[in-house]
Amino acid sequence: MRCAIAGSGLAALATYATLRHAGVAPEEIAVFGTHEDPLDLWRTRASSIRQRRMRSESDGHLAPASFPGLAVREALRRGSATPLLRSVSNRYHPSVEDFLAHGDEVRVRSGWERSFVQRRITRVRAVGGGFELDGEGPFRHVLLATGHPGLAKPDEHPNAVHAYEPHEYASKVAIVGAGMAAATEWLNALDAGAEVISVRRREPVRRPLNVPRPLFSKRGLATFHSAAAERRAATLRELSTPSYPPGRAWDEPLRDERFRVQSTTSGAEQVIVATGFKQGFWHDPLLADLVAEHDLPAQGRWIVLDPDSTVPSLTDDSRTLSIAGVAGQWAFPAADTIAGAKYAARAFRRRVCRTR
Amino acid sequence: MSYTLIGRIQSRVVSALPALIVALALQRWWAIELVALMLALGLLLDVAVYDRVLGYQPGWLAVPLGAFELALVYGAMRWLDLMAPLRMSFALFGLAWVSAQLFGHALFPRLRLEYGEAGGELGRVGALTAAAIAVVVLGGLGAAYAVLPPTVHLHGTIQGPIVIRHAQTLVGGVVKGGILVRADHVTLKNVTVVGGENGIDVENSQHVMLDGVRVLGVSMDGIHVRRSSVMIDDCKIASPKGPWVQGIDISFSMDKQMSMVNGCTIVGTREGIVTHMTMVDVTHNHIGATTLRGITMGEMSMGTIRHNDVLGALGVGIICLDHSECDIDHNTVAGTRTDPTGDASRAGVAIEAHYFAKAKVSKNTVLASPGGVAAFDQATLTR
Repeated sequence: MRCAIAGSGLAALATYATLRHAGVAPEEIAVFGTHEDPLDLWRTRASSIRQRRMRSESDGHLAPASFPGLAVREALRRGSATPLLRSVSNRYHPSVEDFLAHGDEVRVRSGWERSFVQRRITRVRAVGGGFELDGEGPFRHVLLATGHPGLAKPDEHPNAVHAYEPHEYASKVAIVGAGMAAATEWLNALDAGAEVISVRRREPVRRPLNVPRPLFSKRGLATFHSAAAERRAATLRELSTPSYPPGRAWDEPLRDERFRVQSTTSGAEQVIVATGFKQGFWHDPLLADLVAEHDLPAQGRWIVLDPDSTVPSLTDDSRTLSIAGVAGQWAFPAADTIAGAKYAARAFRRRVCRTR
Repeated sequence: MSYTLIGRIQSRVVSALPALIVALALQRWWAIELVALMLALGLLLDVAVYDRVLGYQPGWLAVPLGAFELALVYGAMRWLDLMAPLRMSFALFGLAWVSAQLFGHALFPRLRLEYGEAGGELGRVGALTAAAIAVVVLGGLGAAYAVLPPTVHLHGTIQGPIVIRHAQTLVGGVVKGGILVRADHVTLKNVTVVGGENGIDVENSQHVMLDGVRVLGVSMDGIHVRRSSVMIDDCKIASPKGPWVQGIDISFSMDKQMSMVNGCTIVGTREGIVTHMTMVDVTHNHIGATTLRGITMGEMSMGTIRHNDVLGALGVGIICLDHSECDIDHNTVAGTRTDPTGDASRAGVAIEAHYFAKAKVSKNTVLASPGGVAAFDQATLTR
């Protein structure tokens, strides 16, 4: 077997579908993960936070080619040009339902089940001819898509529920955070009739996407990749500042008198922390072990990667070790998005196909 | 999409492929020149403006940028005297624009998964395709240039008549005694002809262009065209030598490509512009003080008579005559005088359909012409 994917989330499915699109047979790929349905974990989180629309746009889907995007599919389904017009003006955000339905199609069409092995990988070792995953292998090309290393819960709120955990709303809710999840929770709680206290350390940044658009393409990435390590880390820190999109749909509900900003959670019956995920590769046991065992260079909380998302010291003409998802930010700042997953997947495909 | 400069260039050039294929299929030099012009202007904008100004280009911006580029291409066509039919040119531009959208949004992302993140760069295959297209366009331009007729500049006064038997462009000068055109692809530009029977005599010649010619003091026709197709633009015909002189006569060319007379000023002739058995557009001309008719579309001719001024004609201003079919609109006919012969069809008629002719008239301005707009001898006139 030539390829292995460690992980069973969205990035893993995007990579698998991309490899299949390139003609790599299911028998040539092993997918190791904990979830047979790669959409499962994401679906649970989206449902917990009652997310209805994606922050991503028409091409934020899991199929290998960006066309046809979700706007085209919706336009055809509804017989309406509105999704297309919204898409060309950057105002189209697919529904979560559409995204998941399409993801399910991609999973079925790609033959994911034929390659899936239910097993959590805890150790990757470079060996002659590739890599061993918990003693399995060797595989010549391996992509690690381990996902977020866990929910971040501030110590000062030990009894809080995390936004990405299933929950209901009390009549007076404090929501800690200032990013997309927090903004979604403000609206959810208001919608549920609750009084909302927003607790935040800084004013939220308003940005349509996670990172500025030029950083999704070579135009912006070339500058990012050529920057010195410290500067690059500073850029990533800056980009990790919580943000949510601008727009009336976000602002108008917050004019309600039941919404206010406070410095503490005092007076709230319920505290919801919308503080995202743990940050830093060391929170992920597999990555922490990989870095320690192979003495991989890191800069702050990021593993140093080549621009094509590969680990430079463990990648050569005969083998590939790639990292997708949030841990791949050194190569692609928006690595924790669908676009980021595809960026790593496509680079991985190039290497796999080149050495077929 | 955040294009890199190379991405912009490659995407633009490869997207021009459908327009280039159509241009080659048309087998007309203007079409290849137009594609080259669109590409050249587009690439100039890419390098000098878009790449610097547009760090990110949303999809909707393609519409205003397309309109802006269309205006630039049109201006450049005028400036370079690119002899291209306007509607076809717009259609070719439209095809190129639509292709660019379809290629950029659908085809390229489909064929090259990394298209978006590569900033529009198309990889090795795309680069080769772009290079091939560039070579074809440049080759086409080179071929067009290689077969360009020679240009002859005339200085001072030449004793004619001059007979032109090969494709060429004649520029400037004064020719006495007339010019005879007997070859295809002849252009006369800013030439003045003085005297002779016919000032400029075109016979059995196609793709003849008379641009800015002046004809004075002739005794038969200012411009005399037989079994030919001509484009006459911005001519001046005056000072006829005798009462039988016609300004422009284009006849017996029904089986030839359409002719056009545009922007001419003709004064004091017997007929201003007259056609027989010809397909022709007569537009934006100024005709004054004719003694028989201002504009005649006669003997089974077909065409439009549009945006002309006919002033002080004796008898008839504009006539659609003898089984011809004419669209007559947006003309101004003023001061048409009654012919003293007493013929009702010449009683100061501004616009007339005569003898089984069919004329469609609309939005003309008729002033001080006692005969008004009228049909005679079983002609039909619809408004």
